[in-house]
Amino acid sequence: MSAASEIVADGFPSRRPRWIEITTSADHKDVGRVMIVAALGFLFIALVELLLMRLQLAIPENSLLTPVTFNRMLSLYGATAIFLFAIPLALGFFYYLAPLQIGARGTALPRLGQLGLWLYIAGATVLYAGFLFTPSEAGVNPLAPLSELAFLPNNGVDAWAAATGLATLGFVLIAINLVATLRKMRAPGMAWRRVPVFAWSAAIGSWLLLVIGPVMLAAITMLLIDRNFDGIFFADGSGGAPLLWEHLSWIFFTGSYMLVLITALGAIAEIVPVFAGKPLFNRGAVIGSLVAIAVIGTLAWMQNMMTSPIGIGWMYFAMIMSLALIVPFGLIIFNLIATMIGGAVRMRAPLLFAIGAISMISIGITAEMVHSMVAVSWRLHNTTDATAATHFALIGGSVFGGFAALHYWFPKMTGRTMGETLGRFSFWTLVAGTLLTFVPLFFAGADHGQVVDAYKFFDGSGVDTDNLIASIGAFVLAIGIVLALANAIASRNGGARAGHDQWGGDSLEWFALSPPEPHNFDVLPDVRSDRPMRDIRTAIANRTHRAEQAARETQPVA
Amino acid sequence: MAPHSPGTDQIDTLLSFGTVVAAILIVAINVALIYAVRRYRSERGTEPRQVRSGRRTQFRAGAVLTAFAAVILIVSLIYTDKAREIPTTGSAGLASASSTPLRIEATGQQWLWRYDYPNEAFSYYKLVVPVDTTVELDLVSTDVIHTWDVPELAGKRDAVPGKTNHVVFRADEEGTFDGQSATFSGQAYAAMRTEVEVVSPQEYKDFIAAQKAGIQAAQDRVVGLIENGEVP
Repeated sequence: MSAASEIVADGFPSRRPRWIEITTSADHKDVGRVMIVAALGFLFIALVELLLMRLQLAIPENSLLTPVTFNRMLSLYGATAIFLFAIPLALGFFYYLAPLQIGARGTALPRLGQLGLWLYIAGATVLYAGFLFTPSEAGVNPLAPLSELAFLPNNGVDAWAAATGLATLGFVLIAINLVATLRKMRAPGMAWRRVPVFAWSAAIGSWLLLVIGPVMLAAITMLLIDRNFDGIFFADGSGGAPLLWEHLSWIFFTGSYMLVLITALGAIAEIVPVFAGKPLFNRGAVIGSLVAIAVIGTLAWMQNMMTSPIGIGWMYFAMIMSLALIVPFGLIIFNLIATMIGGAVRMRAPLLFAIGAISMISIGITAEMVHSMVAVSWRLHNTTDATAATHFALIGGSVFGGFAALHYWFPKMTGRTMGETLGRFSFWTLVAGTLLTFVPLFFAGADHGQVVDAYKFFDGSGVDTDNLIASIGAFVLAIGIVLALANAIASRNGGARAGHDQWGGDSLEWFALSPPEPHNFDVLPDVRSDRPMRDIRTAIANRTHRAEQAARETQPVA
Repeated sequence: MAPHSPGTDQIDTLLSFGTVVAAILIVAINVALIYAVRRYRSERGTEPRQVRSGRRTQFRAGAVLTAFAAVILIVSLIYTDKAREIPTTGSAGLASASSTPLRIEATGQQWLWRYDYPNEAFSYYKLVVPVDTTVELDLVSTDVIHTWDVPELAGKRDAVPGKTNHVVFRADEEGTFDGQSATFSGQAYAAMRTEVEVVSPQEYKDFIAAQKAGIQAAQDRVVGLIENGEVP
């Protein structure tokens, strides 16, 4: 930009400091970026909590952490991993990329999205303002009546409820904006049948949040009323029902689980075709499957309640819904693999993470399939086998899928590419760490019935080796995550410069500059297919070719 | 962990079936994935084929997946239904429980299980039941949600305040079986364990008699203390 140095800037109002610009901006790219950065920060914090718990569980009857400290770590870990990492990471990517992908110059309700971001940050602040109150001791899902005032009279559960409530409200607001933007602001020619798969994920995920978010908000409100205003929603004996909390919270948690997978699979379905040089094998089937996962998956919430005093019919209903998920998940995996067959696969870091994500998710959801068989659930429910299944699916979705998206879109967001060698190294460390941590837990749960959430296990219960390996694995996992985060931080200013179309992408975000201008696009292309950026590249190549021909033809013959 | 009740036998079979299917699926998916990635590298220098699949391929794939899901569902329904069957008391069991199961109330409370037998005897932590006898536990809770889980004898069930849940089992041999609560219930959750001692019907009757005598003796002593004015 040295050519612009002649412009006299004297008296031109100086821009406000960078951090004020970002924190007060309602631009979807600024909001999305803050959200992604915050979510990755909380990934690190969740990791520290996981490591502390794994240290405690490295040897039998360990007394490193007191039971109360362990329970606080457990509660913080659950809230951080779900509410402060997995969901906001998904929403951050949606919020940054979906408007770009549909060729919009902004979002429909920018201030609403900004409010959503800051409600999420407020929630995180409440959860971690631990010097004002003690953290929750009620576990990952604070089941009533344990979470009622009678059993946990300190402020912990109130803080948990306020924090997750604020964050959830923020997510719902962002979802509203995304739904409106995707509905109303698509570029000319960008019919739904041409909308990129990841933007479809954003639409599906946002609608899903509009359904499950208010359910959780209602449950949290009831819990706060119970605790602070003598309510009886979840107290038995006076007309309340502990099972009500289970139903409402599991609807939300199951839906969030699906949201994470929908986001990851949407991102993977963008990455795989680009790096295979082929179109997605069948777009309709993949998008339809994502919709099916959102609906059917959430309807399977009672899979978490198969040991509760509910009728066997409800358990069968949950099992049918869970097993029905085989079809959409199977179709998506089939189409992703078929996309690569016959292609020219470029093995770069984004694809590597995407492949890893498919692999980990396949392990997780297959294990969940076994768990959804009612009688098996009577054995495996709340054992570490369930922990392992959930973590394979969610680490596959949020960490591997999230890092795939990060490596893929990092050039777009920053104008720099993430380090390839470090990317590969962090990938293989992550694979080793995930397998080492969670495969032994499968065995500890299935063979010996080790229970979840317990601050210790007893000597002679046969799970010593499994737990020791899992604890070592957790450290390998941590190294992998730290390496990937360090790669992102170092590449922010030190990475190789990226062009506007770093990978030869198919969708419109690659038409904008890297990083995009505040208004995203100077001109909006007329969208004619579901691979508009490819069309643009072909058009430019054709035009260049024709110009050359014309030039050649008009050469005077000597 | 060997099954020692008809119901856990079925659970075990279904779990083995599921594990085998899952293992095959995981291997198949990952082998296909790795094959596709390694076989079609850009280094081989062929132009990628710009093909998309028609609907027919997708419908076929969907049909195969649906059939697979249906098989899993049917197998699971069959074994779950078998696991729910209430067994009848065998010849070596308690004679008085031959027509109706022996009902015992199991109360979960932070962080101990209390067992109330018929005829007013009760015990804490340890449940004593006669061998080859159908036992039905009525699970209740006085405080938070607990899960009664003795994996060798029965599938786990929650004890939820205000509700009664049921566990039925018939132990096939004498011995001691360990169990642990499986729903997070607060500070001492990890230490909330239980033990089921399976004994002969005669030993069971002796145990009930001894418990009742012990409880009566303790009660008499307290009453005696109060009457003597030693307890205000």
